[in-house]
This record gives sequence, C-alpha cells and structure tokens, in this order.
Amino acid sequence: MVAGLCLGWVGISYSALAQGGQEPVSLSVVTVRGYAAERFLAGQKVQPLDSTTLAQFRYQSLTDLLALNTPLLFKNYGPGQLATVSFRGTSASHTAVLWNGVNINQPMAGLTDFSTIPVAGFDQLSVQYGSAASVVGSDAVGGSILLKTMPDFTKSGLSVFAGHQQGSFRNHQSQGGARYTGRLGSQWQVAGKTVVYGNQLNNRYPYPERKYYYLEPTEARQRGLLQDLYFRNRQGRQVSVNAWLTDNDLVQAPADTIGRERTRTQNYRLMGTYEASHTTVRAGWFRDVLDYAKGDFSRPSHSLMDRLMTRVEHERLLLPGLSLRAGAEASHYRTQVDGYGGQVVQENRADLYALTRYQGRRWLVSANLRQGFATGYRAPFTPSIGGEYQLIRQAAWQLTAKGSVGRSYRMPTLNERYWLNLGNPALKPEQGVNAEAGLAARTTTAKAWQLTAELTTYRNRVKDWTYWNPTRNYRVENLQEVLARGVEWNGSATYTQGRWQTGMRAGYAYTRSTQERVYDVYAQDVVGKQLVYVPLHTGNLSAFVKRGPTRLTIQTLLNTKQYITFDNIQALPAYTLTNVLLNTHWQWGAVMAQMQGQINNVFDVLYLNVRRNAMPGRNYALSLFLTVNTNKNAKL
Amino acid sequence: MQNSKFLLLAGLAGLLASCQTKDPEPTPYESGILILNEGNFSQNNGTISYLARTSTAAKYDIFNQVNTRSLKGGVSGYTEVDGKGLILVDNSTAGLDQVEIVDASTFKSIATLKTPDIENPRQVIRVAANKAYVSCWDVSGDFSAGTFYKEPGYIAVVDLGSNKVTKKIPGIRANEWMVLVGNEVFLGSRYNGDKLMAVIDVTKDEVTQKLTVGTNPRPFAVDANSRLWISSGSEMIRMNTQTKTIEARIPAGSDATKTPSAVGISPDKRTIYFVRSYYDANYNSKGEVYSFGISDAAISTTKPIVNRYFSNLNVDPQTGNLYGTAVPSFGQAGYVLRYQATGALIDSVKAEISPAGVYFK
Repeated sequence: MVAGLCLGWVGISYSALAQGGQEPVSLSVVTVRGYAAERFLAGQKVQPLDSTTLAQFRYQSLTDLLALNTPLLFKNYGPGQLATVSFRGTSASHTAVLWNGVNINQPMAGLTDFSTIPVAGFDQLSVQYGSAASVVGSDAVGGSILLKTMPDFTKSGLSVFAGHQQGSFRNHQSQGGARYTGRLGSQWQVAGKTVVYGNQLNNRYPYPERKYYYLEPTEARQRGLLQDLYFRNRQGRQVSVNAWLTDNDLVQAPADTIGRERTRTQNYRLMGTYEASHTTVRAGWFRDVLDYAKGDFSRPSHSLMDRLMTRVEHERLLLPGLSLRAGAEASHYRTQVDGYGGQVVQENRADLYALTRYQGRRWLVSANLRQGFATGYRAPFTPSIGGEYQLIRQAAWQLTAKGSVGRSYRMPTLNERYWLNLGNPALKPEQGVNAEAGLAARTTTAKAWQLTAELTTYRNRVKDWTYWNPTRNYRVENLQEVLARGVEWNGSATYTQGRWQTGMRAGYAYTRSTQERVYDVYAQDVVGKQLVYVPLHTGNLSAFVKRGPTRLTIQTLLNTKQYITFDNIQALPAYTLTNVLLNTHWQWGAVMAQMQGQINNVFDVLYLNVRRNAMPGRNYALSLFLTVNTNKNAKL
Repeated sequence: MQNSKFLLLAGLAGLLASCQTKDPEPTPYESGILILNEGNFSQNNGTISYLARTSTAAKYDIFNQVNTRSLKGGVSGYTEVDGKGLILVDNSTAGLDQVEIVDASTFKSIATLKTPDIENPRQVIRVAANKAYVSCWDVSGDFSAGTFYKEPGYIAVVDLGSNKVTKKIPGIRANEWMVLVGNEVFLGSRYNGDKLMAVIDVTKDEVTQKLTVGTNPRPFAVDANSRLWISSGSEMIRMNTQTKTIEARIPAGSDATKTPSAVGISPDKRTIYFVRSYYDANYNSKGEVYSFGISDAAISTTKPIVNRYFSNLNVDPQTGNLYGTAVPSFGQAGYVLRYQATGALIDSVKAEISPAGVYFK
C-alpha cells in the first residue's frame, strides 16, 4: 500500500513530532520509539490503516474494519459472536495479534476472537502480511495484526470526548474518555489517555428469517476500559503503563431458558515499559477468563489463564545505516481450565532473537534470527532474510522491488497439549517456510493526483499442521501439510481540487490453500482441496467523495464461495456486501462534533454465517462524537 | 425485418402457450434410495442425496436442487406419508429446528413446521392416513449438568391434510424410536436412566402405558411372528405386543461393553442384522455386522457377516441388500456400502456429510 513504510516507522514518527510539536522535548537520534517490529521485516508488505478509516469504524469491531479494508477473511458466527481470521489461506491460530508489540492471542485456543476487539481499543493499526516468526515469534505464520496505542506529546492540555451510536435492531454503542498531556516539573512530560466503552447488541431483528434462512437470536454486551500513561524526560527516557480491560458477554437464544448458551470472556491486559536510549524493558500480565454455560448460568464451565511476560531488547547502530536489535523474552503460563481436568497447568516459554537492518541509498535489507523454547521442547529455529530495492526513484514517483524468505512456527496451544484425553503433550510445533516477492509503486509529489499500487505473490508451506482428527474421536495430531500460495494486489488513488477530494482504495487477493498430505485412506478425498472457509477470490473497494468536512464513502467487499467441507463438496455461496457512510463535522470554538450516518448491507444481500444461518439484512446506524479540546495546539 | 419480428413474436407466443399447457410433472424421486446425511452439527449442513437402485453415483442435496435453498440443520429423520415426505431438521441453535414437508416424488417444498411445535425432532413414522408422529426431545439443556434431556419429551402429531401439528403428546424423557403395531405406537428412549418405554394409542393420541424394559430401549421391527424387537444395552429383547410382556432377553454376544448400535430386519422378517460396536484404545469406533434368526435362543458373535464397523445399517425391504454407512469425519463425504444378505460386497457409493441412514422408496 504505502511502499515507503518499511523504510522507517521511526522516520514517520519523528516527522510527526517535528511538524506538530509545540514544545517538543529533544530526543537523542538513536532512540527507537514505538514497537516497530515491522522495521525489521524488509521485503514484506505492511499496510497501515489511516486514521479516517479508523474513525469511521470506531463503534465497530476489528472484524468489520479488517474485512472491508484488507484481504483478511473471517469465519463469522454472527453479530457480536465469535469471529476468527484466516490470513493468506491459513487457519485462525496462524495470525499473531500484537498489542503494543506483545502477542495477545488467547493461549488456550491460540487465537483471537476479533469480535471482542473494538476499534476503540487502540490508536493505530497495521496489517503485516506473511510469516514474521523471526520478528514476532509464534503464530505469525499467515501474518500479524499490529495494534498500538500512541501517546501524543505534541499537544498539551486536555481533550475530553464522548460518543454514542444508535443502530437498527436496538443496538447501541457508547464511549467516552480523555486525552491529556502536560509537564511534571522541568524534566518530565506526561501524556495519557483514558477510555471507557460499552456496546449493547440486542439484535432484535424485526424478521425471524430471511429467504427461509433463520437469524440467530443473540444478545451481546461488551464493556472495556483503557488506560495509557506515558512519562518521558529530556534525556529521552520513557516509562509507560498500558492497561486494557475487556468484558464480553454473549447469550445465544436468550429467550429459551433451557437451551440458551452464555459465553463470557474477560481479558485483563497490563503492561509496563521502560525505554532508555538503546534499551527497552517490558513486563506484562495478561489474564483471560472464559465462562461457558448452557441453560443454568449460575454454574459455568470456567477457564482461567494467566500469563506473565518480560522482554528485554537492546538496539545499537553498528555502522552507519546498519542497526542490530537483540532481545530475549520469557513467559510463564498458568492455567486452570475445566477441560484440562481441573489441574493447574503451567508452561514456560522463552525466545531469543537478533534482528538486523541495513538502510542504504536504494537498498533496505534485514536478516533476522529467532529461537523459541517451551517447556518440554524447542521450537524450530526461524531465520529470515528480506530486502527492498528502489528500482526507480524519480521526482514524481518511485518503484520498489521487494522479496523475502523466512521460516515460521506455531507452538501448540494449551488446548492442543493439555485437553483431557484429546490433547497431546508431545505434539510438535508446526513449522513453515514462506517466500514472497512484490513490487510497490507510488507517486511522491504533492500533486492533485496521488497514486499507490502494490503487487505481491507468496508461497507458504506449513508442515506438521495440527488437526483435531475426527476419525480418532477428535484427538489432536500433527497430520497435515498445507501449501498456501497467492497473489495480492492493492492500490489507491486520490484526486484533490480546491475543497473537493475524491478517491478510492481497492484490493484483490487470490488465495489457493490446499492440504497436501495423505495420512489415511479417506484423506485421498481431501488432498489438493481448498481449505475450508478460504474463498479463492476476495476483493474490497472503498471509494469516497469529500467536500470540506463532509465525506461520502462506499465500502464493498466480495468473497467468492467458501467451501465448508474438507473435500469441497459443500460451500457457502459467494456474496457482495456494500455499506454507505456519510460523515461530517462541525467546530464551535473548543467543541468539535463529528456525525456519521451509515447504511450497512445497502442491497439487503442474503449471506450466511458459519452455522449457515442468515446474517442481518439492510440496517442503519447514526452516531455522534463530541470532543472538547482545551489543547493549546488544537486542530483536527 | 418485419417478418423476422413477426416470427419472433409468434415464437414467443408459442413459448408462452406451451408454458400454459400443463406438462405432467416429472417425478424424479418416485422410487429409489434416499441417503439421509446428518451433516456436521455445528455447521447445519445436513442434506438428502438420491440414489437409484441401479446407480453407483448419488445425486447430491436434492432438496436444494429443487427448492434452491438448503435445509437449515442436520437431517435427523425422514419418512413418507401418503405422497408427502417429512424431513426432520435439527439446527444447532435452540428454537430453529423444523420439519420440512415435501412432495415425495418431486421433493418440492409444501410446508415447514417450526418451533414451538418442533424442538429436537428425532424420528418420524406414519401412524394412519395423512397422519404422522414426530418424536421430539424438546429443548435440550446442559449435558454436563445432567439436564440435557428434558423430562418428558413429546410426540408431535402432524396432520398432513392441513400440514399442521395438531397435538403434542407428552411422552418419556429422550423419546426417540417408534414402531407402529396395529393401533399402538411403541416408543423407545435414548436416555439410559429411566429404562422406560411408552405405548401410545394412535386413535386417541395418548400414552396408555409405560413399560420398564431396559437401558436405551430401541424398538426397531416387528417380525414374522408379530413380535416386537427391541435393542437395549447389550441385549436383544423380544416383546409380545398384545400382552406387553417380554418373552426373551438375548445377550448380543458375551461382552457387555460391545453393544448393538444399528439394527435391521430382513424382508421376510425372519433375520435380524445388527452392528455390534465399541471404542478401541485409540478412541476409534470399531465393530462388525452379525445376524440371527427370530427364533434363535442365543446370538452367536463368533463369525461376523461383515467384518467392518458402520455408523448405521439398513436393510432394503425390496432386495434384502444391506446398506452400511461409513463416516470418515464430519468434514468430508461419507460412504454407503452395499452388501448382499450373505455379506458379499456389492459396491460403495460416495454420499455427503455423515450419512446416518437410508430410506428405501
């Protein structure tokens, strides 16, 4: 998307500081801010989502945001219900979700339920394509989702915000909070953000079925609290605390007191970070609580997972343009899960890694090494190398060639190792080899037209793919081998004239992902077949026209049919989904009001969830977001 | 030019006229075999495939082919009543189960029975002209809390004149299997705690008697001597339907951990076939097919007639051939294997997801 992004996250944040800063504290040049893992992934594609898009989705979940703006695919169980990802033809546990640099995949199932992550929960989001085990660690097989919270030291003062969205089906979302930046004495600055949010999805559909397909009666309530505090001094030292508490409560068939089902997930994420000029030390505590009950909600099946982690990283400039980052991470897992027989299960994991990056005039090269360990066994050694070269660097535009190759792995999840009878403590980690190459072009001058385009092709082979083997009563085994390969294209164009601006962003992905290994007589029906829930073709298009503060956006996504059986004899039909959004804002002195009207599924298309029940038809949402700004440097 | 336009119009008129003359409705599913594919429960992808007796290739998902919409759950049962087919459909979400009523020879949808009339439908039988019984567990609760089977389940009485449920007869917990004998339905149960069966008078639609029989009593056939056969735990039970007394309890082999899991009777109603199944140390389902005569005093399990496990076994009442269903997993097509009554393999037909039974037309 943005070809130059890999050229330096650091550069971008510095320029932001330089431009917006009223009284920026001078920083030493070698300070590495942020959790810029992707800096060491030269040759790989990273797609940041812009702040306008994030604002448009601020009342929605990460599922909606990514489905409409990236080629990521979701196995969606319905509004407010479980949504798991498939990235480049891999399974739900092959995408690492990083919150401020730390993997927050729930360790029991080794995946993230994207319906439980509201867009309100972070400030920045990038999608990193392809294996990145050497930089990210376990789970980064298909790709990674990088969620970040960012302090804003460029302003001082207080900004308070509150918003509400009212939608069809008696669904509503609210959020409120404050951002603040100030001084602590002569040496220190403090920046922070506090956000609370609450979403109530009542899903009171006026129709029980659509074209003979039922809608599932469900209710979901989501609440959360975010607290970020950053302290930094004139010497460039920074201490920060990030906390994110979430509570998601989903009830299926709520009116049926016997058959109703409740799934409640609570996440506690707390992290402290100390950054000096060359060194970062981080410690975190992550707790995931999962309660499931049917009928009688008073005695749920209970799962509790605690993870304590610490990471130390040191970065150094070895030569001009050549930097090295070395790090070590250790995690301790402690779980009490009913499904593990009630026993306390503990596991330790550790990683050692060394990342290098060379930035030349036209060249960007990185070479990385990582070794992961876990109680009982060792992860595969995962090196990677990648590079980018600017083929054309003209005043008006530039063209960059990219390529990378690397190994990846996924540690077995705790369920896979410890689930009573079905789990297998001796399960091997999965391991893969990913290679990709691409071309990225973009215009570089501030002309009326701004264009970007990127084309990538990849091939990712994963061995020892774990499989809950139905022919062995769902015991887990390293049975399969999956080969995923594909082509991705995306591009954007904007045209500006006076107060008018128009533009579009489009993406297309061809994904062929197949199971390759014959392990029993019936596997012959499955070999070479497309993986379930991975459509061969996906596309998305977002087009807008804007005049002054008012913007009209059309978002469309297309998925071709998705097979639902391993032998490809059954499929969910293809569908196209289109939403229309109208945004505008007003400013009265210190008060800013942002308003958004939204029509989802404009064409009232029938499409089905994973259980083959219907998803909702055309629906509406209206939202208002108010900001009161006492910042000295207050501008949108 | 004018001419060609005229011709076109004339052709169109002819086409329209031909639409109005009523061609005889093709009846592709008049006779043959329906394979009931249960599907994967959480995916609600049950289907019915059609197989001509002489064919080795099944036609997939015929309900969808005819009605351009799929069934909305697992297929848990099927029968035909006076030209109409009743498909029992079990959705994984509570409150979304239904019975689809179709024209039995075209499979065109006629009506849909829904909640609260239908909840966890298990088996359907014809009990009189235009009248069917559908056994329903009712809403199921939490398995681990022991509240999975509601007490009691019920029988939905379906009138196929109006295509409506006219009555819900309170039955027994987890009531499932039904066999009609005269004017009485013998109703069995999947629950192993009560050991009960019930007798329903189909002229009154009322339970007239409850009988203590044994674990998981599964009535399945009436033999040539008008005796009712019930498989229960590891026993085969022979019941006198007049006196409601048990005449014989015959152990199906000497190992009580191996139980009959699928049962059928020969066209002459003199030979009973069953799959005797168990789990091996690796959690694989194992088993073999055995047979015995209705007058045998004991069942020998020394020599199976087919040395293979099937999830279900049905006997074709026309030919006497055995149809065994094999389910490799709930994520790929299963197979129906056909055998002669002697146990000689005829062929194997690829079905859809989790074939769980066969209906002979």
